[in-house]
Amino acid sequence: MRATYAILRKELRDAVQSRWLLAFSVTFALVALALSMVQGRAGDLSEQGFNRTTAGLINLCLLLVPLLGLVLGASTIAGERDRGTLLTLHSQPISSSQLLIGKYLGLVVAVWMAIVLGFGVAGLLMAFVNPLTDIWHYALFIVLSAALATSMLSLGMLISVVSDGRLKAMALAVLAWFVLVLLYDLGAIGVALSVSSSGRSLTLAVLGNPVESVRILAVMSLEPDLQILGPLGAYLTEELGKLTSVILLSSALVAWAALPLVAAERLFRRQDL
Amino acid sequence: MLAVRSVTKRYGSRVTALDNVSFEVDAGQVMAVIGANGAGKTTLIKCIVGLVRFEGEVVVGGIGVSRDGRGVRRLIGYMPQDPAFHSDLSVRETALFYADLKSAPPQRARELVETVGLAAHEEKKVGELSGGMRQRLALAVTLLANPPLLVLDEPASGLDISARLELRQLVQDQRKEGKSILLSTHWLEDVPHVADSALVLNEGKTVFLGPATELAGAAAPSSRLFLRLNGKGPEAAPIIESLANGAVEDTGDWLVVSCPASRKAQIVEALVGAGIGILDFRVEEAPVDSAILQLQKSKGGRP
Repeated sequence: MRATYAILRKELRDAVQSRWLLAFSVTFALVALALSMVQGRAGDLSEQGFNRTTAGLINLCLLLVPLLGLVLGASTIAGERDRGTLLTLHSQPISSSQLLIGKYLGLVVAVWMAIVLGFGVAGLLMAFVNPLTDIWHYALFIVLSAALATSMLSLGMLISVVSDGRLKAMALAVLAWFVLVLLYDLGAIGVALSVSSSGRSLTLAVLGNPVESVRILAVMSLEPDLQILGPLGAYLTEELGKLTSVILLSSALVAWAALPLVAAERLFRRQDL
Repeated sequence: MLAVRSVTKRYGSRVTALDNVSFEVDAGQVMAVIGANGAGKTTLIKCIVGLVRFEGEVVVGGIGVSRDGRGVRRLIGYMPQDPAFHSDLSVRETALFYADLKSAPPQRARELVETVGLAAHEEKKVGELSGGMRQRLALAVTLLANPPLLVLDEPASGLDISARLELRQLVQDQRKEGKSILLSTHWLEDVPHVADSALVLNEGKTVFLGPATELAGAAAPSSRLFLRLNGKGPEAAPIIESLANGAVEDTGDWLVVSCPASRKAQIVEALVGAGIGILDFRVEEAPVDSAILQLQKSKGGRP
């Protein structure tokens, strides 16, 4: 436990010292504030509250947060391998699981800090001019962003473990981001419908991508309009109902945070150094 | 303390890095592992520390490394051949970080930084340290948890002569404290002075396993001695030939003598005793490969 905590603290310290944590916090805060200001000029702020800003932020968050999680996760073990420090770390009285989990938790805490600090500070500033009635939607959006980052970090760690160097890990992380964020919606529907037109394959297509799960959960909390939900989200809510969909999508997010990490640990334990 | 039984390590179906290697190291004993580059020394050490999977069995203090690698690493202080630390941490932070990993008290980390002579550099980033200083830091990290078994992979590589002598002293001190030591080295000459027993590896196979004193005789490492004399070459030649048991070549400026490593000092002593002035001299040690080749020949093995 002490060794895992030591690795966690080291990872957190690296994040703070490398300044990426601060850079992302500032970026998140500035984007949220800018979006709020632009939308404030376009209409009556007091009527729109946080919802308009949150809706605008969702799309941006679905682009930025997966990239952040995947790239950071992918660079961790592969980076240590490149620097030769993985051997030094592994030759200490620490198991593969402790090393991997310590690094993962350190990154999770760091990314959560960046998200909560960035969007939190912006939310506080916006609260001075916006009515507080919709603030829970904004808070839920922050939680969903953190959940998305957690699952993307897990996938990033798996990429890191299977890559023999940082460069390869980065390339795989960007490829994964491209597929999950940009290609998936169309590709999954196409594949799901070509394999089988049943509802089961469409449901699997939604659950197969944490980005899609978060998008549907966020939109459902704001405005469960079938058109905004997209084809996969619309199908899910119509067929299963809102509550079942929320439970299913939340479970999928938890699975996405756990399963790649478990796979990474299994593979990491079997690797020679 | 350490038992290695029938350890074989294969990479794929073609490369056998270690082939059925077995030996034991008792408490308070020092074993030297000798071999040329690629002989399997580092692979053997990685098997012992539990960094690679292998066939066979490694037991440290009664614990099998394949069953409980973490438990075994609690008993081992391992110093890798090229120790790598996080370059953004200072010497003090590095020692404290590894003390935390090994559950050693922070005070022990501070003491060891001082013991290895890095107290004046403790705020320096690891990335700014010279190779020798990094080696010293690695030594401090190795000793942090006061482990009963030290595994040192080429600890003398990159060190100058005085640092090598300090290292030799440190090995002796640790042995006096009752620690077992496995020491991988290129320096065949050091072996009888630092080790009780020796294991010689060639292409992953054991070519010698026995007392270190026997190795010195069997492998007979050779040296080339370059001598610049005060114009008394013809007088020196018979003296050298009687002792060298090897070739003597006069290149004009230098007399080049090939001799057993153990005879170098006797030759110099004999020349000085005969009143022949030595203006300058250099020594070139034969690579460990040639000694191993000789060892194989003397044991009747295939060269």
